[in-house]
Amino acid sequence: MFDFFKSKKTQEAARLESPGVKEQAWRNQKLKANLKENLTTLHFILADCYDVVFREFDFAQLPDIRLALIYVDGLADKIQVSNFVMRSLSLEVPPALPKEYKITKAQAFDFIRDRGLCIHQIEETDSLARLIDAIMSGDTVLLVDGHARAIINGARGWEARSIEDSKTEAVVRGPRESFVETMRTNTSLLRRRIKNPALKIEVRPIGKITRTDVAVIYIKGVVYPGLVTEVKERLSRIEIDAVLESGYLEELIDDNPLSPFCTINHTDRVDKVAAMLLEGRAAILTDGTPYVLTVPTLFNEIIQSPEDYYQRYFFYSLIRLIRLAALIIFLTAPAIYVALLTFHQEMLPTALLLSIAGQREAVPFPALVEVLLMDITFEILREAGIRMPQPVGQAVSIVGAIVIGEASVRAGLVAPATVIVVALTGIASFTLCYPGTLSLRLIKFPLTIIAAFTGLFGLICSLIILITHLTSLRSFGIPFLYPVMPLSPAQLKDVVVRAPWWALLTRPHLLGKENPRRMKAGLKPKPPEKNN
Amino acid sequence: MKQKLFLILILLFITINISGCWSKKELNEIAIILGTGVDYTKDNKIQLTYQLARPAAFGGGGMGGGPGGGAAMNQNITWIVSATGDTVFDAQSRLSQQIPRHLYLGHNVVLILGERLCRHGVLDVINFFHRQPLSRGTVWIMATPQEAKKVLESHSELQMTSAQAIGFLARLRTGYVLRFRDFSQDLASRGTNPVLTRVELKRQGVAQGPGLEKIHHHQEIIITGAAIFKEDKLIGWLDCQETQGLRWLKGDIHKMGIIIPSPIYPDKNISLDVIKGNTKIEPVYQKGKVKFYLGIKAEIDVIEQQDEEDFTRTEMIKAVENITATKIRQRVKISLDKVQGEYKVDSFGFGEAFHRKHKKEWSKLKNRWDEEFANAQVYLTVKVKLKDTGMQGRRASLKR
Repeated sequence: MFDFFKSKKTQEAARLESPGVKEQAWRNQKLKANLKENLTTLHFILADCYDVVFREFDFAQLPDIRLALIYVDGLADKIQVSNFVMRSLSLEVPPALPKEYKITKAQAFDFIRDRGLCIHQIEETDSLARLIDAIMSGDTVLLVDGHARAIINGARGWEARSIEDSKTEAVVRGPRESFVETMRTNTSLLRRRIKNPALKIEVRPIGKITRTDVAVIYIKGVVYPGLVTEVKERLSRIEIDAVLESGYLEELIDDNPLSPFCTINHTDRVDKVAAMLLEGRAAILTDGTPYVLTVPTLFNEIIQSPEDYYQRYFFYSLIRLIRLAALIIFLTAPAIYVALLTFHQEMLPTALLLSIAGQREAVPFPALVEVLLMDITFEILREAGIRMPQPVGQAVSIVGAIVIGEASVRAGLVAPATVIVVALTGIASFTLCYPGTLSLRLIKFPLTIIAAFTGLFGLICSLIILITHLTSLRSFGIPFLYPVMPLSPAQLKDVVVRAPWWALLTRPHLLGKENPRRMKAGLKPKPPEKNN
Repeated sequence: MKQKLFLILILLFITINISGCWSKKELNEIAIILGTGVDYTKDNKIQLTYQLARPAAFGGGGMGGGPGGGAAMNQNITWIVSATGDTVFDAQSRLSQQIPRHLYLGHNVVLILGERLCRHGVLDVINFFHRQPLSRGTVWIMATPQEAKKVLESHSELQMTSAQAIGFLARLRTGYVLRFRDFSQDLASRGTNPVLTRVELKRQGVAQGPGLEKIHHHQEIIITGAAIFKEDKLIGWLDCQETQGLRWLKGDIHKMGIIIPSPIYPDKNISLDVIKGNTKIEPVYQKGKVKFYLGIKAEIDVIEQQDEEDFTRTEMIKAVENITATKIRQRVKISLDKVQGEYKVDSFGFGEAFHRKHKKEWSKLKNRWDEEFANAQVYLTVKVKLKDTGMQGRRASLKR
């Protein structure tokens, strides 16, 4: 009885003593030759880790050697571990060996490493830190008594979401795969698109507690010179507890921390990242999130979609122009509407003015209040649409449609023209690349308010300030508005229109200057020349 | 950095507050003026008339009112207000005391001047419309032998308001029309005297619809010719026929039909449409005498024939062209006789053509140009080309 309490107390003491995140002394320790000692150390470090499995057994070839397997339940592939590590070590004799073949204790470790394991990927280490990291990442560690080394078996296998369609950037034509939360899967997706040893994937852990793997990916010989060094340097400056999503990194390595504009784009589309890499950009993959950062980012990416490059160029050039129009409408339509209605009535055609005046006759608010009211209602609905539990989706959309479309007009709170303007603004934003629209959504509100106070004059001034600000932005050394500002006429082929592939001979000048040419000239299809 | 940010915020705050919605006018705080009329009353005062739109009649939504933006029966679309004063602004300030909204001239379509005012001289009232920043140069300016107020007190069957209707009618250029800025130019020029569009409120057509079976006659503003001014004073009117000749002389040739007698069949006519035309004025100054050589060129289409002239034959085309030329010459002669002979004013801009050609002599003549013009010889050459015969070469024949 007392004994029980006592043992409980010592366990408790061990727990309390087990190192937290602050004590990192053990990270410098090496493994000992004695298995018992090693196991004690590991038990001490891994105390209260319910999911860690310790399994000790005897080596079939030399029964007086004790072996120990340590892995995290749920992260290691149990079938692989049981069949190809434990079974081969504890039961079977390697078939090619003569019966009388005897090994000594000293040879045991090398024997196990070279002939005993049926695991595709193994690594040898004597560092305790590496050992713990490997266990935590899902590898299985094998300790051999009498040897101050361990074998790390790369037999990871855990429950993961399968590869699905991209949720945020849908296309009609083009690959549907998107990234998932597992970095290994993500790198394999990229490698499958770019089958070239020049595709480099450099991984480093970031986050003192989470130790999240972050990979810098680039194509050597294509990537913008100096970019990789710069990215790695910025990443190495980060000292943070946790990285749960690439957004953490985005804000820590951004060029313009105080700008409303986001100068680092993110995407979950594999083909988009591959295309970015091929243009000379680098990608930053973060374990645990499907969203990959691509740098440097240009402003024109907001009106581009991967599909532009897959569909016929005539129509998709038009689509890009429509997206550009949508961008302008999205940013300025409410502001222009308010300015025209409060200051510049003479700029509307007479018939339209009379019609709008008639609609607004019963509206009790000034145009600004009316537009803000509708805009905020729309933002609320949009936010609700994202946040609400799926089963109530229908209810919210019905209520939203009725509130916005019908009731507010019927009640005389807003004019139908205002509803049209705000609805058009909202819909226009969905034609654009989502990450880029967030900053514009924010800027839309001050623009509307300025327009209501100072009219078109103030609106134009604000837009000038906005454009000046945009021209001052850099993303990893590349001007944000490139190739429009600074103007690079040859590059305008692929900005608001998309030239056919046989005319897109070079990568974007600034980005791809390491390796400018991407195809042979004169690939435009033409009829065969006649022989006679 | 923080100081900078703070400074920017302060500046923004001050900008917004100091500007303080300066000149802001909400849409439902303005009274939209669609038509303006100015009259000269018998007691020598200026009477200003505004045709105001009543926006609620245009809306559709909001009140859940009439269907599709149209006004319901017995619902007024416009409100015609007028006041008198010593100046136009005096009259307007009287009006603004009675109207609960800002008077807004930015969408004025038409400026109608009454006959008494025109005879008295329009310079007294025009200046108000020049100085107002919102009064536009594109307003149609017109004169009426009736009272301008009476003309504006009307409504249109096709358009929402009579002011818009006359604006659209003017835009079609079926008669001689001009905008306020052109009128001002003509007024300022010594080489030409202004001509205004003449409009009248006349019984025009019959409005029909369910509930309207009891025929009721409808009055609409229509263009009925032109008003001839000497400097800023009206001295006479032209009817529609005479205005056509005036338009040939001024080179303002749009949408003009000509009816000529058939070259071979008596009592039969041919309708022609002028699709293109221009007038060249060649002034000559010889021995103290002013002469003008007018070259008129026209291209015509056949619109209608009453008998079987064969337009595939060159002689027929030639004959039609010749008759048309004569017809045009006749028309031009009629208005030339009336304006040059009767009113003795240069309404055609011949003085400007003379000025361009003979700069030195102009400085001597300009002060007595109208007398000089009244005595000037005008020689006419008319060249007509038949371009097209429409969808038919020959008419369906009964005789063959």
